[in-house]
Amino acid sequence: MGTVTQEPTRGGQLGRLERLPWRRIILVVLSVLILAVVLVGAYRTLTLPEDQAYSGARWRNFIILGLAQGSIYALIALGYTLVYGILRMINFAHGEVFMFGAFGAFFFADAYEESGFLDSNPIASLAILLTVAMLTSMGVAVLLERVAYRPLRNAPRLVPLITAIGASLFLRETARGFFGPQTRGFGVPTALEGTWTIFGIPVDRIQVLVLVTVIIAMTLLSLFIARTRTGKSMRAVAADSEIASLMGIHVDRVIVTTFAIGGLLAGVAAVLFSLTFESVNFFMGFRPGIAAFTAAVLGGIGSITGAALGGILLGLLQSLGPALILTGYEIPSPFQLKDAFTFFVLVLVLIFRPGGLLGTGDAEKV
Amino acid sequence: MRDRRYLAILALISALTLVAAACGDDDDGGGETAGTGGTAATGAVDCEADEFGCVEIAAGAPIQVASLLSISGETAFLGTDSNNGITLAIDDLDGSLDATPGQVLGHDVELVQEDDGCSAEGGQAGATALAANPDIVAVIGTSCSSSALGVADTILGDKGILLFSPSNTNPGLTSEEAHQPFYFRTAHNDLIQGAIVADYVFNELGIDTAATINDESPYADGLAAAFRGRFESLGGTITAEEQVNSADTDLGPVLNSIAEGEPGAVYGPNFNPVCALTATQGLDILSEGTVQLGSDGCLESAFIETAGELPAGYYYASSPDLTVFAEGAFYKDEFLPAYQDQFGSRPTAVFHAHAYDAANILFQAIEEVAVDDGSGNLTISRTALRDAVQSTADYEGVTGVITCTPLGDCATDVTIGLFEYPNWPVEGGEEPADAVYTDTKTLEDVQE
Amino acid sequence: MGVPSRSIWRGGLIGAIAAIYVALVGLYTRFADLELVGEQITLGRLLLVAPALVAAYAVTRPRVVAGERRPVAFGRGVLAGMLTGLVTGAVFAAAVWFAEWFGTDRIREVFIQISDPLIAFLTFDKGVPAGLPILIALSVLGGTVGGLARTAPAQARAPLAVGTLAVLAMALLQRIIPIVFVELGFEADWLYAPSRGLTWFGAALVFVAAAGVNALWHRSGERTRERVRSTIQEAPAAKLGLLVVIIAVLAIMPLLLGTVISEVLGQVMIYVLLGIGLNIVVGYAGLLDLGYVAFFAFGAYTLGLLTGAFLNTTTGAAEPVLSGDLSFYVAIWIVALLAAGLGLLIGAPVLRLRGDYLAIVTLGLGEIVSIITASRWAQPLIGGPQGMRGVTKAEFAGFNFQDNPQHFYYLALAFVILALFISWRLAGSRIGRAWNAMREDEQVAEAMGVSTIRFKLLAFAMGGAIGSLGGALFAVNLGSLTPTSFELLVSITALAVVILGGLGSLPGVVVGALVLIGLPGLLREFEEYRLLIYGGALVAIMILRPQGLIPNVRRSRELHEEEVEQDAWGVAEPDDREAVAAVLPGGGLGVEREDLE
Repeated sequence: MGTVTQEPTRGGQLGRLERLPWRRIILVVLSVLILAVVLVGAYRTLTLPEDQAYSGARWRNFIILGLAQGSIYALIALGYTLVYGILRMINFAHGEVFMFGAFGAFFFADAYEESGFLDSNPIASLAILLTVAMLTSMGVAVLLERVAYRPLRNAPRLVPLITAIGASLFLRETARGFFGPQTRGFGVPTALEGTWTIFGIPVDRIQVLVLVTVIIAMTLLSLFIARTRTGKSMRAVAADSEIASLMGIHVDRVIVTTFAIGGLLAGVAAVLFSLTFESVNFFMGFRPGIAAFTAAVLGGIGSITGAALGGILLGLLQSLGPALILTGYEIPSPFQLKDAFTFFVLVLVLIFRPGGLLGTGDAEKV
Repeated sequence: MRDRRYLAILALISALTLVAAACGDDDDGGGETAGTGGTAATGAVDCEADEFGCVEIAAGAPIQVASLLSISGETAFLGTDSNNGITLAIDDLDGSLDATPGQVLGHDVELVQEDDGCSAEGGQAGATALAANPDIVAVIGTSCSSSALGVADTILGDKGILLFSPSNTNPGLTSEEAHQPFYFRTAHNDLIQGAIVADYVFNELGIDTAATINDESPYADGLAAAFRGRFESLGGTITAEEQVNSADTDLGPVLNSIAEGEPGAVYGPNFNPVCALTATQGLDILSEGTVQLGSDGCLESAFIETAGELPAGYYYASSPDLTVFAEGAFYKDEFLPAYQDQFGSRPTAVFHAHAYDAANILFQAIEEVAVDDGSGNLTISRTALRDAVQSTADYEGVTGVITCTPLGDCATDVTIGLFEYPNWPVEGGEEPADAVYTDTKTLEDVQE
Repeated sequence: MGVPSRSIWRGGLIGAIAAIYVALVGLYTRFADLELVGEQITLGRLLLVAPALVAAYAVTRPRVVAGERRPVAFGRGVLAGMLTGLVTGAVFAAAVWFAEWFGTDRIREVFIQISDPLIAFLTFDKGVPAGLPILIALSVLGGTVGGLARTAPAQARAPLAVGTLAVLAMALLQRIIPIVFVELGFEADWLYAPSRGLTWFGAALVFVAAAGVNALWHRSGERTRERVRSTIQEAPAAKLGLLVVIIAVLAIMPLLLGTVISEVLGQVMIYVLLGIGLNIVVGYAGLLDLGYVAFFAFGAYTLGLLTGAFLNTTTGAAEPVLSGDLSFYVAIWIVALLAAGLGLLIGAPVLRLRGDYLAIVTLGLGEIVSIITASRWAQPLIGGPQGMRGVTKAEFAGFNFQDNPQHFYYLALAFVILALFISWRLAGSRIGRAWNAMREDEQVAEAMGVSTIRFKLLAFAMGGAIGSLGGALFAVNLGSLTPTSFELLVSITALAVVILGGLGSLPGVVVGALVLIGLPGLLREFEEYRLLIYGGALVAIMILRPQGLIPNVRRSRELHEEEVEQDAWGVAEPDDREAVAAVLPGGGLGVEREDLE
């Protein structure tokens, strides 16, 4: 009985200590520090002597590269955010869904490149590549859901997360076994090589294609979610799956549809990625996968605009971060640290806004 | 009643295990098996006095030579290729490359293959397994420097087992501080490769500004550092030293940053796919006329597959140049065709030749020091074997004239060639796959 | 009770898909020649039989009919197994025929493992279609065995299964066991053909021995086993005796098993340490940490720095910017202390995060450390890509822990025992109970006066300290450190060890490490497929047995119930009582709480 009387008193003592606004003090100090570090770094970079500084054209390049990479991340992040919204789980294996789509497209691209079809009919071949990639990714995503996630629908959060990690490993190694460890070259149609000049700035044609595709995809997706019946069902299930099923919504079917759409988007991203970097290999889904769900979390997971915003922001961070801030501190080889920089930003964002940038800012939202 | 029986059984088992432990061999570096009961009558070999003991090979039993190479994973192309070189050496023991293995001193040669995993842990696991086997005469390996440095070279060296590497190029392995007495290599020291490439860029191409970009492997880091050292001592300027991750695909920003410094050349001594990606992405980002160079890690079929078409004079890769020697004719006319015949493709890497030479030097050393007791049983003293290898001088191998030094570098005269893409001497490369520039240097040349 | 035919078709089809998968991923090509017993039974052939076997085993499972669990009758079971095998074999054979007809060269442009040698192997060198009946027959055999395995009478089943598994295990260890024999001074060629698999005689011997022991064990009856167990549990003398025997066995093992197995056991011990530490964070406190590699790397490099390791450079060696020259036995405690500090640093920003957010942030923090180890920024301190070497050998009284795997095992064992003890005491203490409360329901715990902030930080600190011990031992063992050893895979493996063994279960961590590190260490022929097997095993465990191999009773109940509170739509009451009970006096680790149900 002695221990029972101790506890409440301890609670009282803790209460007094906790009444000091420690949290707020630390947050304020932290934000000032970070702001200082960023500004000082940027200032030092921008005021480097002529021979060491980046030119305006370089900064423009950094930004464009960041935007292009970021849009691909955004596309992949959309898949993560959709699944999370419905199932409250992060599909770790989404990167591998993306990778399989790329391989699917690759085999066709390879054949078309050899036969010359790729260069003679770029639009037709692109359409076919996109379709193949979308179908492959969709297939893998739906299979994944059926085999690995459906049995665990009601399990505590930890279980599907571990399953997803395992599935990611399994799919990656399967691809290595099927297709070999070598990186393969992805053919680019000549029509897409080179640059277009937009507003006097030369931009890679592929980068334009990526940006345009992402905008189209996002618009279509938003319209789909907002206007169609399936979209509404998805929103209903995301809000409360039990009540949704009571209202007659076939929850299982909705979940499969969600995975399918996520896969579809990943397939599109796969083709764009392969065209941009002209290569596919079995581990190509891993880093973009982590980057993409970091982006989704950054933007506020569960939110479509959040995913897009997070993706673009991440791309810019990876490009500009080392260039703008780390260079100022004369850190050698700053670009090797780009992922570290990105994660650091993620930690910071989640300290201040645990729900992500477009999240509710409320810790309990998780 | 039953409890006592169980206790009795437990006691018996414990007693047995204690007895077994007491009778077991303590590992004291001996090469002898306790069961064989002493050395064979061999007047000329004093195994007792040899700190590391001897290897005994019974009549009719094969001579077991092991390989500790990267035979799995992404670097499998390296290890398999070297294993093929060793197999060809065994084949050639009978004087011809005819797919029938030859013999050493009347004994077959058996190749025991272990995986070095291209990592320290892999090297440790493989080396421990080999060190525990008293029948292994010597080990040819490792593929990756990280498996050898401080790991495989020490574990095997402590048991007096020779470790002869066909592809370790990290300078540290044969440095004063770190060299292990039983370690040798026919592969070149990367100080030489980096220096020759630097010479080419500065003297031949006339470029005086360069940037380096390496991935996070010790190989790339070491080679890039060697290049920079030499380039600057020639009078050149290094505009940027960048590093990336081997799994990175988006090299745009880092190349963009390098482009700012307007280097005339970008040196990326990495593995694929990073090499291929710097080549293709660099085309768009680096200014017109910038030259890119890679190293033997890049010089493989995967690069050709990924990079596809590149402008002439844009990309070069350095590699040991095997075509220029007295043995050159042998290599082109007999060795390569035999390789193609027996393994179904052209070599996937360059170090098969170094493995071939290492194996042959080993066989020669075995023939020198093995003592036959008259009825076909061989005894090989480990220390004597090592001394024999170390005293190799003016051996004409496929990779050049080989003279082993006390610090383990046997490739004293290293010939490095620069090959312009796509005329590369690997599967998928275009003929004629001849070097556009070749130079031979020794370690002293580059260490002044 | 029979098996519905629909089930047979489905099972057979899935078996065929599995067989095709095995072919596509290259397992047949890789292991076609790995002899298991004699020259005829190779691993490749075993893999031919396996899909049908597993499919049949699944098809003949007991069904629930009208609320009752009815096993399948023996005869019907074997028949069902045969039929399943037939379906698998037929479909697979059709696939092989198709591959041959379509042209292996064309298929190889996509699936690189399909080749003529593969077809030859699958048709027993008789070509298509002559070899296909043999393939189907083998499949039928596999199915029969699968059906048998499931439905045979119990007395026969266990010994036969144990015997077969023992033979399989001995056959797979064909590289290791002969070395053990040789190091002990015995000959092994009666058991193993040189550099090959088991001899027929050896296999028969192993089978009889294993099956015999198992049969005896079962025959001795439930009563005597119960008596042994109760004697051990109650009599303190018996407990002490058991403890002594366990310690004696652990001490003798390395001498018996030789250098190679001791090396593997040393690695297992390192991961046991990592598992114990991660178990505190994930298992006890319920904080999902995917960045555990941070502590591992920190422990390794800090120990190196404190004990005078130097940097690898192109010219040889260089002094790190900060360097100490302490003895291992002093440095290790400093490392643990500093790692606890790192744990506080990592824990502080993530205090308010839960579930997936926590997972990703810890992943990110782990990646940050991983990236920094390879960076040129940190190169003056820890050597960058080329790394460091010259970590102390921790020599002590004639023991050399770096050069001698058997000695290292003892060192690692000592630390493992220490960590186990600390962890066990923590679990049973007030801190442990607070962690339980926190893990089950944070809000209620806070309301009861449990300061979640303090206990979360404590979990990170303790977990970090123990994890860093693992890293430090890793450094001592290897002597040489390169950044490639400190990547995400370490975090995932550590997590897999904890999950496989059972969250919150200490014996589970040991078993998990033995399975995930010990087995691949011994079976290095499978190195290429290690990650594939890891991934598959993780998924399988989570679906089939999420509580792990040796579950912690409390946690397994949690894992089988719907999660409370942390989901927006979750609704549950019963567990509140448990959470409350956890902080009341007398609250234990779960077993005693049944009376509250």
